[in-house]
Amino acid sequence: MHIPDGFLDPVTIAITYTAFIAYLVVALTRIKVNREKIALVPVLAAGIFAAQMLNWPIPGGTSLHFVGGALAGILLGPFLGFLTLFLVLFIQCLVFHDGGITALGANVLNMAVIDVLVGYGIYKLVTSTLGDNRKSRLIGAFLGGWMGITLAGIACGLEIGFSPSFPYGVLITVPVMGVWHLILGVVEGVITALVVDYLYPRLPQLLLMQQSLSEGSQE
Amino acid sequence: MIGRKALLVIILLVLISPLFGIVLADMVGYHEPLDVAAEKLGLKEASIEWTPFSDYSIPGLPSTIGYIIAGLIGVGILLGIGYLLVKAMAEKK
Repeated sequence: MHIPDGFLDPVTIAITYTAFIAYLVVALTRIKVNREKIALVPVLAAGIFAAQMLNWPIPGGTSLHFVGGALAGILLGPFLGFLTLFLVLFIQCLVFHDGGITALGANVLNMAVIDVLVGYGIYKLVTSTLGDNRKSRLIGAFLGGWMGITLAGIACGLEIGFSPSFPYGVLITVPVMGVWHLILGVVEGVITALVVDYLYPRLPQLLLMQQSLSEGSQE
Repeated sequence: MIGRKALLVIILLVLISPLFGIVLADMVGYHEPLDVAAEKLGLKEASIEWTPFSDYSIPGLPSTIGYIIAGLIGVGILLGIGYLLVKAMAEKK
């Protein structure tokens, strides 16, 4: 889902960069320092970076790799989760040319903002509706991972399809991106659920997330 | 301790990554939905180059070994920057 240089028109580049910088500023002012949770950022960033290197080619069709935005959102919340994915995308872009420099705003918006927020929001909704137990955590993380990557894919379709040179571009790109990510995103949902299920009892820091969920407070 | 265990998992992922990132991709072709959508619109990638490690390769090394080393470089940079950031944020408050 990393958009390279050359796919976006200047207006889209300007809008996506503005949105990404605005969210970055909000995130930096809203992050409450919780040493234990913050300490997870580098490890999670490195883990997501490594996981994204595992591309799964599917013969005859399309391919996918794990994105991890929803996972970061669920584990660390909407701001630290964003920061984690932003670090990954920034290094991927600058050091490995994975994602274009003109598309960095769009890529951050899709994978570090939309994927993170959707994953966090759905997980929070499910666990607060069904009660905080293992089953609701699995369902919430699965749906969060699945819907997070699907909506990020749709946003990506909007960005590359929205250009004056392709008047009906979005009518082509949004269905392609939406449908494929809806299908492939099931895998993202399953991985997100398994990782949350594995980490939850092992990371006492995450118990704080449980508190903030029940208090309904922000990060 | 989560740190050591997590690091082992991460290194393991990087070690097996060329299987998925290079070997299988060469066999069946890596083609993600974005490529499909871009093809339909006839979008062309612009070739601006700014890094020697483009596409997780290391100049002069075979693609599989290069992919692993690029992965380790990325993991190292992220752990390093992340650690500095965490330290800065913890001190700020």
